[in-house]
Amino acid sequence: MPPEASCYSRARGTEVLLYLLPSLVFLAVFTYWPIVRAVATSLLEWNISHPQPRFAGLRNYIVLAADPVFHLVMRNTLLLALVAIPLSIALALLFAVLLHEPLGSLRPVYRAAVFYPTMVPMAAAAMLWVWLFNPSIGLVNYYLGRLGIPRVEWLYDMTWALPAVMISWIWKNVGYLAILYLAGLQAIPRDLLEAASVEGAGFWQRLRHVTLPLLGPTTVFVVAVSVINSFQIFDAVHIMTQGGPADRTNVVIYYLYQQAFRFWDIGVASALTVLFVVGLLSVIAAVVRQMERRVFYEV
Amino acid sequence: MRVRLEGVVKRFGATTALAGVSQEIREGELFTLLGPSGCGKTTTLRILAGFVDPDEGEVYFDDVPVRGVPPAERGVGIVFQNYALWPHMTVFDNVAYGLRLRRMPTAEVRRRVEQVLEQVGLLGLEDRTPGQLSGGQQQRVAVARALVLNPRLLLLDEPLSSLDAKVRARLRSEIRRLQQELRITTVYVTHDQEEAMVISDRIAVMRDGRVAQVGTPVELYERPADLFVADFVGTNNLLPGTVTGLRDGWAELATPAGVVRGRAARPLQSGGRAVLAVRPEALRISDGTPADVGVPGRVALSQYLGSLVRYEVEVEGGRVLLVDVHNPKGQIVLRPGQRTTVSFDPEAALVFPEEAP
Ligand SMILES: Nc1ncnc2c1ncn2[C@@H]1O[C@H](COP(=O)(O)OP(=O)(O)OP(=O)(O)O)[C@@H](O)[C@H]1O
Ligand SMILES: [Mg+2]
Repeated sequence: MPPEASCYSRARGTEVLLYLLPSLVFLAVFTYWPIVRAVATSLLEWNISHPQPRFAGLRNYIVLAADPVFHLVMRNTLLLALVAIPLSIALALLFAVLLHEPLGSLRPVYRAAVFYPTMVPMAAAAMLWVWLFNPSIGLVNYYLGRLGIPRVEWLYDMTWALPAVMISWIWKNVGYLAILYLAGLQAIPRDLLEAASVEGAGFWQRLRHVTLPLLGPTTVFVVAVSVINSFQIFDAVHIMTQGGPADRTNVVIYYLYQQAFRFWDIGVASALTVLFVVGLLSVIAAVVRQMERRVFYEV
Repeated sequence: MRVRLEGVVKRFGATTALAGVSQEIREGELFTLLGPSGCGKTTTLRILAGFVDPDEGEVYFDDVPVRGVPPAERGVGIVFQNYALWPHMTVFDNVAYGLRLRRMPTAEVRRRVEQVLEQVGLLGLEDRTPGQLSGGQQQRVAVARALVLNPRLLLLDEPLSSLDAKVRARLRSEIRRLQQELRITTVYVTHDQEEAMVISDRIAVMRDGRVAQVGTPVELYERPADLFVADFVGTNNLLPGTVTGLRDGWAELATPAGVVRGRAARPLQSGGRAVLAVRPEALRISDGTPADVGVPGRVALSQYLGSLVRYEVEVEGGRVLLVDVHNPKGQIVLRPGQRTTVSFDPEAALVFPEEAP
């Protein structure tokens, strides 16, 4: 390499580093360092019986592996993601397609209606749902009753508490996903759909063969965002059930909070944090990699 | 198939895209809609395809009114302005789509797709996606997709507008050849008058949602009906002036460049404003010595193009006339700055009344 080139690129490197410095500092202070700390702390035994932290190797992870509540919490977290995400994506798509069809001057009204749950703080929404799911005075049981369906104890019911939490989460998230899909729909050139209708494709065929495949990139983003949101469901659990009954609605992030601030086991809480971050990142990476391979086209 | 439009009007809110178009398109001809941007060409195609119905008037396919008949049942094939190929499907799947919707047996699908891909010269590229093709290849896929269902009417919306000049020239001949082989009634939209001239049996020049003139390329070039067509089809030199004499279909015009004569293409008024139009190839140029007839001027630019020399001659009043001198072998090529006189046979010049702007 000629000397000028190396000088030049070294100068460029320094320049690039300078530009990146502010964000790097923030990332280091607020993201990387806490992770390093969490990893370090997860190797300590540090709880009420041992107020003085001491090195304990993988003890906290072993404790978790043997903890039946942790197994339940994992199951709940995955169940929430596997059920609530597909449901909200299906609903979001439906709303977006309906919104995209010509509704004339009513479109802004529908759009606001679909989108507004997104703007309500989750804590407020959760309060609303606590009331809706109230076994005796809640609207949900009222309407089910009118359909002749017997009363459900919802948030106090071992089976139905988790679905209730899922419903509130779906209600809260669908609007945002629908707006993302609406943007995706509006980016599809009209010609591509008209070309299909000339060939004889009806509404459903156009949807299946043209619209949905072209929404692929949007879907990758939607899935990634939903996975993050579903793993981070906290307010709803805290307000609606506090993880109960009998941990039937407890999820990883809520269990982490309980370990840290209710049971004061900092070591186990840190181990949970590490598992949470690693789990979330690997799920996202796997999903995105899997989907990207199939959905990005050179246009 | 014959197509007939009768008094077709289409409005979009306050804009009138089509203001009453009546036109017959003959069996098997390549009929071109030519006009500047926004004149209603695409709207006409969309009405023929059945994506929109006209607000007024009616469209007939072989004397059957088609209002309300959905696109798929009209037997039309379309090549869209930007091809509208499905980016997530291979070339094969793009072309096969309509056949598969019709539940045609796999072997038959393969046979028909391969046949049409061969017609457009794309055999061997079946497994590529549109993103892996050049613009010209994408265009051929679009043509193949439009043809594979054996349409009765082929619609092409500026199919070559996003290609470079060489590919454009080749593909337009190919489209023409294919159209003649298949004898398929075709409506071709373009704003490129040269393309229209080369490819068409007949051309409708459109302007502001109306048909200004219909004719063969020769008719439009030699006998434009109005100033707009004269200006839009081919190149014309325009000299505006005042009518000073009218006799036996001849008009004399006083222009800032001098007095000129031509045939009155439309009724004119003595003393009224008018414009003389004369083609560059009808102009002659004298070397230096002022001739007794013609318009004096000064060579502003001379371009030697081998088979012809194109001059730009600035005349009194500031207008620039284009003069094409063919086969200039052995002749002296005038250089910029030289004085000259431009003359023409009045037979080759047309005089139109000036249009209100
Ligand atoms: N869907 C629509 N909504 C509103 N106005 C429209 C619509 N489609 C066309 N127009 C208007 O109608 C007129 C004719 O449009 P059209 O697309 O037919 O023009 P065109 O001749 O194809 O032009 P171009 O050469 O630019 O493609 C234009 O003024 C255009 O703005
Ligand atoms: Mg157009």
